[in-house]
Amino acid sequence: MKRSRLATAALIACGVLLALVILLPFLWALSASLQTELALFRRPPDWTPNPPSLENYLYVFTGQVPNAYNVRGLLRSPITQEARVLPIGLMNSLEVALSVVTVNLVLGTLASYTFARERFRGRETAYLFILGSRLLPAMAVAIPIFLIIKALDLLDTKIGLVLIYSAFTLPFTIWVLTLYFRSLPKDIEEAAMVDGCNRFDALRHVVLPLAAPGLAAIGAFSFLFSYDEFVFALFTTSSTSSKTVPVMIAAISVNPDASYTLIAVGIVLSVLAPIALALVFRRFITSGLVASMGRS
Amino acid sequence: MSARTGVKSFWSARGAGSSTAYRLATLAPVLVLVAIFTLFPFVYSAVTSTHQVLLTLPDQTPFIGLQNYLDVLRDSSTQNAIKNTLVFTLLTVPCVTVLGLAVALLLNQQIRGFGILRALVLLPWAIPLVSAGIIWRLLLHGDFGALNGLLLQLGVVHDYMSWLSSPNLAMYAVALAHIWREFPLPAILFLAGLQLIPGDIVDASRVDGAGLWARFRNITLPYLRAPLLIVLVYETMISVSVFDLVYVLTGGGPGSSTTLFSWYAYATTFTFLNPGQGAALSFIMAAFLLALIIMFLRIVRVDEGEA
Repeated sequence: MKRSRLATAALIACGVLLALVILLPFLWALSASLQTELALFRRPPDWTPNPPSLENYLYVFTGQVPNAYNVRGLLRSPITQEARVLPIGLMNSLEVALSVVTVNLVLGTLASYTFARERFRGRETAYLFILGSRLLPAMAVAIPIFLIIKALDLLDTKIGLVLIYSAFTLPFTIWVLTLYFRSLPKDIEEAAMVDGCNRFDALRHVVLPLAAPGLAAIGAFSFLFSYDEFVFALFTTSSTSSKTVPVMIAAISVNPDASYTLIAVGIVLSVLAPIALALVFRRFITSGLVASMGRS
Repeated sequence: MSARTGVKSFWSARGAGSSTAYRLATLAPVLVLVAIFTLFPFVYSAVTSTHQVLLTLPDQTPFIGLQNYLDVLRDSSTQNAIKNTLVFTLLTVPCVTVLGLAVALLLNQQIRGFGILRALVLLPWAIPLVSAGIIWRLLLHGDFGALNGLLLQLGVVHDYMSWLSSPNLAMYAVALAHIWREFPLPAILFLAGLQLIPGDIVDASRVDGAGLWARFRNITLPYLRAPLLIVLVYETMISVSVFDLVYVLTGGGPGSSTTLFSWYAYATTFTFLNPGQGAALSFIMAAFLLALIIMFLRIVRVDEGEA
């Protein structure tokens, strides 16, 4: 069936509108990060930086104070030391997120395969427990979790965060992977096991190569969850050596002395990794989300 | 029930068994980790919420039964937080659902270049919620802000509006940021549902002369029933427990106009230094969400059985 020209044009217009709604907020943050504070407060502001300047980024990475701050155009010349720790926060976030991905890939895969293929008492209870626990809101459990981490003597450490995030991502991982493993044909595994492979060998040599897309999806989910998480990081970390990016930029953004251009730098730096990941792993993320919510 | 047999056959679908040790070794680490971080908080909240715990009186924590629950439920601030959360949920869930459906219908069209859109649509959802919140802080700021600049340029307003510090507007501002952040997930789920509709049914109905609306009502909507239920329950859970956005956008203010339930539980513990009542509030929220979770699992699992 052919669509009329007019209908196609209208759909394209809607598509462009959607792209603008998604992208303009990001582009405004990018534009603001390349401007001076003074230009930002012009009414109306310059939509594109004029001229663009990397001085705000330079300050974050090298500590060189932007020239614009010597011009006292505003009542205060706000600048904050807090912005200087962002590069460390980025490293912390990546370290924590990649560790959680590793935990999920190893423990999550092993457990999911057992859930998908083994038969034993209590497995349905265990599976339901795992599924049900995945959606508890952070605020409802944040204080007791703070106490657990304190009891383990892991306050203000990245390991503490890795433990919490693993506990909150593994249920989702197991859900997605169990469904995924179930969808793979059993014949080859069974043939391998008749030939003397044990369950673990079958998993390693036969199933894992087939399950690569599922593994990519749960890797991406655990990364995004850990990288984006805010409440637990806010509660359990206190020093630069373990604070993650969301905690740092939240602190900067509610600091009345922080420059808005530096806040914009913080936004841009914080969204780079998840945006890159979302674009590269798009297919896996989409199919994983759909699988986890039921293939309706 | 078909759902049950579906689940049963899932569990009996297996090859030769292996040792108990292997099962234990593969399941124990996950079960222990998840149990520590979900069961303990539940028990802890339950116990704490039945004691008087004031950070100002750390040595006296008498058992007071359900007094904390009675106190918080009678408190007008709690009622305000519940009212705000209700308003927020009623603002956001329908918008997120309808917008997600509209975007899915759009992305389902075979048009050159829409592949890029299907990738872009993930972006607001992929970034940290805190970043999304701060982006909207920059957009809605009262002293500068892109929205103010735009409206001024278009001549809609004569002076800058303080969206986030006006008690009447702040709730809408937070809702707007939330909707921008949340619509991608429903869009993706609906899109997946749309792609399952067989093309020949649509074509046949067209030949029969069914209009756009008739096709949507009689073909599209029935196919989207399951994703629709899932989206409604899931998005309700997300809206009810929203915290990060409030933290970076308004801090619950101005006054208490954007004090949502999560924020209120947080403030009760850390600002008013009353962990006993804070735990009672958390427990109320957790119980409410648990009911939604059970509902959610039922929908998803029934769906699984039919698949």
